[in-house]
Amino acid sequence: MAERTVTANGRKHRNWSIGVLLVLPLVILSGVIVLFLTTGGGLELTSPSPVEALTIERVRLFPNKIEITARNVGPEDLTIAQVIINNAVWPYITSNGATIPRMRAATIYLDYHWSYGEAYAIRLFTSNGIPFDVTIPWAFETPELGAKTLLSFTLIGLYVGVIPVYLGLFWFPALRQLGRRWMIFLLAVTAGLLIFLGLDTLTEALEQAVAMPSPLQGNGLIGIGAIGTFLLLDVISKRQTTSGRSEASQRLSLAYMIAIGIGLHNLGEGLAIGAAYNVGEIALGAFLVVGFIIQNITEGLGIIAPVLRDRPGISHLALMGLIGGAPAIIGSWIGGFSPSPALAVLFLAIGAGAVFEVVYEIAKLIRKDAAYETAPMMVFSGIMTGMLILWITGLLIK
Amino acid sequence: MKASLSRRDFLQAGVLTLLGTAGAAVIHRASGEAQAPPVHQMDHGDSAMAMAVGEVDHTKNGFNPTDIVADFDYGKASTLENGQTLREYNIYTINKDIEVVPGIVYPAWTYNGRIPGPTIRCTEGDLIRIHFRNGSSHPHSMHFHGIHTAQMDGVPGTPGVINPGESFTYEFEAKPFGLHLYHCHAAPLARHIAKGLYGAFIIDPKEGRSTVDREFVMVMSGFDIDFDDENDFYAVNAIPFHYQLHPIQIKVGEKVRIYLVNILEFDLINSFHLHANFFHYYPTGTSLTPSEYTDIIMQTQAQRGILEFSYKYPGSYMFHAHNTEFAELGWTGNFEVVS
Repeated sequence: MAERTVTANGRKHRNWSIGVLLVLPLVILSGVIVLFLTTGGGLELTSPSPVEALTIERVRLFPNKIEITARNVGPEDLTIAQVIINNAVWPYITSNGATIPRMRAATIYLDYHWSYGEAYAIRLFTSNGIPFDVTIPWAFETPELGAKTLLSFTLIGLYVGVIPVYLGLFWFPALRQLGRRWMIFLLAVTAGLLIFLGLDTLTEALEQAVAMPSPLQGNGLIGIGAIGTFLLLDVISKRQTTSGRSEASQRLSLAYMIAIGIGLHNLGEGLAIGAAYNVGEIALGAFLVVGFIIQNITEGLGIIAPVLRDRPGISHLALMGLIGGAPAIIGSWIGGFSPSPALAVLFLAIGAGAVFEVVYEIAKLIRKDAAYETAPMMVFSGIMTGMLILWITGLLIK
Repeated sequence: MKASLSRRDFLQAGVLTLLGTAGAAVIHRASGEAQAPPVHQMDHGDSAMAMAVGEVDHTKNGFNPTDIVADFDYGKASTLENGQTLREYNIYTINKDIEVVPGIVYPAWTYNGRIPGPTIRCTEGDLIRIHFRNGSSHPHSMHFHGIHTAQMDGVPGTPGVINPGESFTYEFEAKPFGLHLYHCHAAPLARHIAKGLYGAFIIDPKEGRSTVDREFVMVMSGFDIDFDDENDFYAVNAIPFHYQLHPIQIKVGEKVRIYLVNILEFDLINSFHLHANFFHYYPTGTSLTPSEYTDIIMQTQAQRGILEFSYKYPGSYMFHAHNTEFAELGWTGNFEVVS
């Protein structure tokens, strides 16, 4: 009894010292910070020149009006002093005064008789006399956001996400009849599709990260979004495996995870579509929409691949279709009404992470399957088929 | 403008295949009035024209183009033993931050803290003595257009280019009569002029010019705010759009004389156009007979001339460079003619 007390005390004592040792470096660090802030640590800390950075987030054209939204991504506040458009100093008004605090955005409004199809070069001069240029290579009226645009976004999301995914699900009854080797093949096709989508999503995220303000560190954001999602889904899947649920239930979970991965991917796609619509860079042809439907139909196929041998209820299928497709609509709303490169990059990264994790899960499922040993070529040809399907259908819409 | 493209180049600008059946609903380009932004209170579009936002702080600048336009410096006059008039001027150079455009402060170099420098005015044959001090951080000089000795020319290699803290006295007889100018001739020349070291130099003929009611001096120049050796703003008497914001008041029938000097750096030519009127033009002011009756003249750098006119009708009349780019970048003003 006495011994136990001593041990407990000793442990308590050790916890204390660990706590002190953990905190000590932080105390020293704060001392160093205070010292540095008060003395400058011997460094000349004031910049000899004004450092200014301005990111043009969007330019919108309305009849006789031009609106420029710009974000101050420099280290200090920035003041817009004058605006020159096509070599004419032009009156303007800013949304929140002329000074833009760090990381904040402001909108500049110009009354200007612009003409359709002409080009405009706008120069913003800051109070330090530093010019920032905005070009409008081809002027046309910016589509206005309203109920009609919302409907447009919804329809785009339907065509791009929901309809193709559900169309893919309709293969379910037919594919159930396949032999186990062919089911392995289908799983491999799904993995191939997802690898292709994942690469595509990652590339898109990297491209968009370039357009992000540098303080937001786009590439780091991609790492956080992608790796974090991958590991989180891995944890969830491992918990399910160890919880002793039936294999069928685990396969259903995988189908749901594929749906989530595809859904996140479609969300990122919707964001990009909405944002592009906003800047007027959208030009959809009927041919393009058809191409999209054909390409995305494979997404529905992917969702059902793991559960072909089971009997999931129709409600499960409907729900999975919704999870996979509907985020395209939500994404296009967000992208259209509040375009943010940072948000788009984050969602694309999350989508990429989710898609790759699902590929990993499929790989595990295939390995576990007894039929795998007898059909290694099925995996190779399946993955190649999946990737080629997307590559070839991609030719339609590139 | 490189906006984001979708991963599948879904949004191909230039793919103009219009949507068929689904199209009208999917792609809708809204028409009609844009929503009014929160603080949008500008004039109606029809009156829109080039103009800077705000006004420079003339008090802080230490000079106002409204004063400079009619400010002639005759110096401290005295009569020498031989009967000749001596005019003495005190001129110094100083680095000065000047708000040349509303909101933008330019690190200018100035004569007597103003741009353009003082308008030095005298009569042909006067003895000019200029006590010049350099309070700036660079070597500077005063190089006068006129007839004088090489020693008084203010170019590198002569005693007239002086270091910071030093002083020099330029002395010469004023000739020939006409409208001239002075500017710094230290190297690099273009930068020294562009930074603000210039002014008008008027030598009146002994017998005088015909009597007029109003006399103005206008020095045409520009500012290269971002130092890319191209002007960003243009003006007469330094501040863009000043006389558009504060028109020069004259009366119907008043005889007006303008001493017009071009010292614009970087651009090859400058011009002056008077609205709804014509003027007599005396190139370099060296003849009392006008060479031309026109409403526009052109000047290259350091070219100058005298304009004479009067307005018949009351109203507001523009004057501006007819290099319209310069006009819309600041070189525009107005005469307010009242009856």
